[in-house]
Amino acid sequence: MRTRTSWQVTRSVWHAMFMREAISRTMADRMAWFWMLAEPAAMIIIMVMVRTVAVGGSAKVSGADFIPWMIVGLFGFQLFRENMMRSIGAIDANKALFAYRQVKPIDTIFIRCYLEGLLKTFIFILFILAGSLVDVDLIPVEPLVALFNWLSIWLLGLGVGSVLSAVSSLIPEVGRIVRLVSFPLLIISGVLFPLNIIPHNLQQYLMLNPIAHGLELLRVDFFSSYRPVPGVSATYLWFWILPLNSLGLMLNLKFQMRLKAQ
Amino acid sequence: MIRVTNLYKRYHNFNRDSDWVLRNVNLEIPTNISVGLVGRNGAGKSTLLRLIAGMDSPEKGEIIRDCKVSWPIGLSGGFQGSMTGRQNVKFVARVHGDEKELDRVISFVQDFAEIGDAFDEPVKTYSSGMKARLAFGLSLAFDFDVYLSDEATAVGDREFRKKAEKAFKDRVGQSSLIIVSHSEGIMRELCQAGIWINAGEAVWFDDITDAIKAYHGSLN
Repeated sequence: MRTRTSWQVTRSVWHAMFMREAISRTMADRMAWFWMLAEPAAMIIIMVMVRTVAVGGSAKVSGADFIPWMIVGLFGFQLFRENMMRSIGAIDANKALFAYRQVKPIDTIFIRCYLEGLLKTFIFILFILAGSLVDVDLIPVEPLVALFNWLSIWLLGLGVGSVLSAVSSLIPEVGRIVRLVSFPLLIISGVLFPLNIIPHNLQQYLMLNPIAHGLELLRVDFFSSYRPVPGVSATYLWFWILPLNSLGLMLNLKFQMRLKAQ
Repeated sequence: MIRVTNLYKRYHNFNRDSDWVLRNVNLEIPTNISVGLVGRNGAGKSTLLRLIAGMDSPEKGEIIRDCKVSWPIGLSGGFQGSMTGRQNVKFVARVHGDEKELDRVISFVQDFAEIGDAFDEPVKTYSSGMKARLAFGLSLAFDFDVYLSDEATAVGDREFRKKAEKAFKDRVGQSSLIIVSHSEGIMRELCQAGIWINAGEAVWFDDITDAIKAYHGSLN
């Protein structure tokens, strides 16, 4: 009898889960690929329209063109939100697979976020390339730092996702509330309107939100003369990322059997 | 050998705990002996099987498995409804680390299950008999020391039951079975020893016939 080490087992599980998730995510219906590209494109068009109608193009973003500025923010926010939302459904959707004791609930979250990160990165790169063809300048001035901040936002999504997936499996109402707040979150994270236009006494509360820090950091790496909201800090962002991921792992460890059983 | 020591199990439902399903269970199941679990509905047979499989954790006590134990081969569970039979088989083969043997496992299951083109249809479209065929074939594709079966053959047709029984008989000597079944014929034929689960306690019998007798005795 050949026994495998825990790490080998985990690697096999991750590989199996990844292949499974990748197929169901991209091949589930014949339009899956189309929507993956059309959804962000439609979102950008709608947001640009909302913005021009509502504000009339008067509120300028300092140091960046509005459309590229919003595209970067929107992609960053989507990366975070997809990690969060897909993690919430991950445990429920893979319930049948927990029959194999090798598969742990946390594996489903890791793999979904990993796949989501790959897809979003790929699509973002496609948009950047398409943007430079039509003279929308989306090439980051600091590509490596941009990559690092992109990864930070991904990790923030993973942390929030792993906490919420455990909590919402134990308390189903939490999942509903998260779905409700996902749109307001888009506004207060400064995706549509620059947080600079908000009065300072309100701004300081909005800047408690780590997503806003992540998006501002990402924009700094894309536009050379962009001036972010004062007080933006990568350290602050990572003060959220590390505890959230630790808490998520702890919750998944503590409630593993209950998550499997439900 | 599977060793169960001081095992306690109960379920939590909303805000109250159920009574103990299993209380202070102590068992030593040798690897080369096939065992049948008997007891009335709700006695805890499937619970014990799930615990042995590692799908669920006990409140107290422990289970030591120093051999390769399968997942419980049963009617439901273990298959993702939206994936095809082939994709499910691939998934399980990969989880068990047999990436190199993927093709062998797939063709083995396809031959054993004999479900034709349905192999490439989503599992949710399968009948319970087709699911059972797939599950059974899949578990036989790996070399487990101990197979756990929870009424795995109950829904199969006559021909399939014969095939499943034969497959197990061929493996006597290499692997053994722990089965939950209400068909006493199958138990008598496949198992040597028996465990009677009654009121949360598990009683070991060296002979399956004695276990069935004890179970029948409790009913009268």
